[in-house]
Amino acid sequence: MSPDALCELSMTDAADAFARGEVKAASLVDAMLHRLGQHEAKVNCLIRLDAEEARLAAHAADKARTEGTRPGPLAGVPMLHKDMYYRQGRVSTCGSKIRRDFVPSVTATVLKRLDAAGAIDCGTLNMAEFAQNPTGHNAHFGDCMNPWNAAHCTGGSSSGSGAAVAARFVTAALGSDTGGSIRLPAAMCGVTGLKPTQTRVPRTGVMPLSFSADNVGPLCRTARDAARFLSVTAGHCPGDPTSAREAVLDYEAALNGDIRGLRVAVIEPWFFDGIDTSVGLAFEAAIQVLQSLGARIEMISPASLKAVTTYTAIVSRVEGAAIHANWMRERPGDYATHLSARIYGGYAIPGTAYLEALSRRGALLRRFCDEALGRFDVVATPALRTRTPTRAETDIDADAQNWHRFMDLSANTRPFNYLGLPTVSVPAGFDDRGLPVGLQLAARPFGEARLLRVADAFQRETDWHKRNPLG
Amino acid sequence: MAEPKLVLPTMDAIRRWQGVAVPNAAARVGLADFEALIEALEALRGEMVFEEEPSGFEAALQACKDNQA
Repeated sequence: MSPDALCELSMTDAADAFARGEVKAASLVDAMLHRLGQHEAKVNCLIRLDAEEARLAAHAADKARTEGTRPGPLAGVPMLHKDMYYRQGRVSTCGSKIRRDFVPSVTATVLKRLDAAGAIDCGTLNMAEFAQNPTGHNAHFGDCMNPWNAAHCTGGSSSGSGAAVAARFVTAALGSDTGGSIRLPAAMCGVTGLKPTQTRVPRTGVMPLSFSADNVGPLCRTARDAARFLSVTAGHCPGDPTSAREAVLDYEAALNGDIRGLRVAVIEPWFFDGIDTSVGLAFEAAIQVLQSLGARIEMISPASLKAVTTYTAIVSRVEGAAIHANWMRERPGDYATHLSARIYGGYAIPGTAYLEALSRRGALLRRFCDEALGRFDVVATPALRTRTPTRAETDIDADAQNWHRFMDLSANTRPFNYLGLPTVSVPAGFDDRGLPVGLQLAARPFGEARLLRVADAFQRETDWHKRNPLG
Repeated sequence: MAEPKLVLPTMDAIRRWQGVAVPNAAARVGLADFEALIEALEALRGEMVFEEEPSGFEAALQACKDNQA
């Protein structure tokens, strides 16, 4: 298989081909390095590349397989991850100047689980500074650029993860999602991004942003990739007492392509407020695909959404502001303009408003589930209301008046972080400037199997996820 | 557009409570947005129940979980 053909494989296809002895891990790593050499200058998704270590790990994997060792579910698959997953002794910059030389003393639980599954960690990826912007701008390591058009945002904060998977450098990458940071780059780069149920995947050894809303999840090519990735990484970890003790399923086993009779709620009007025409058309076409597969579609307007969308603006901002208070006092000039501006607002919110937002979260989750997920299996919305903007259109560092365009990007993703629901974005067409559009689906807590079954059925019927921006 | 009146006193309160100075012009634009957030919170007044507490969220995740997947 040629290097380009190897790079076209999905994560599960690559892992299965390795397990069958059809592909060597060394070939997969070499193909990744070759492609990075060809295209990385146009994308700027890398922060750190451990090429030699990756080659050594690949040779070890090949040797183990030929010696008869049973391969793990991700054996032989090269990966790069957002630079906020700590590995003991390796610098983790968190996309920042402040932590440019930070060397963690622990390894993230999810990295340990990926290691145990046989994945090959090849380095770290660009990201929004401290995981706090929805665009992918980075003043310290350079903006990550959308492989579909370098003038446009990748989406953030998992900018490098979205771009690296779209560019076919890797098949899967860890992202994190506090207000849309997996789903936004997935939508804008044309890949699949899963934000699991709050508490589903442990956060031990992961840079914190918001204790209440941070989530760990993958950006990858397909829903099947996301399913296997989740089965490997989910499950309680004593190091993160908030992580759920809920049983981890074989999520891949649920992907049977059958969504006949599935009930889909399209939530209006809030998620469509100010929507761009071409985004709306792509969303309608995606809904028609679900309908053609036997799903029943209905429009609803949950009354709880008013409170949800208000409180969702509060929790992560206050928690992020608290975490960054010392650096905001002592070294504010070391943050990018857009980030210090965003953090600063968190100090203006009274503690009583924060506590009200947290206290009502459980009640509002119950209400939303009654209203939107009682009669329905999943809800569907566009991942973004707007077309993927250019980096200039959302550059606050250059012009403070871009503030609203910047902040509004995550309007459709944030509510699901407050509600804690599992949510996925899958590629669903292109806008009128040729940039990808994402279909966002959400299900009840711990309903990832159902959610991914819908996403997988959609991808069996469409080929948006197979489109390659760089050829 | 004129800056809303809440911006300067809010900056003063942040400086006094947190010891954080306004970092740049974009931060002031962001503070101006709080007029809308305050109005949205006003509209929700009275909905919180005396017994509600933050720990209810994990219980709600369990209570609402998907049992058929």
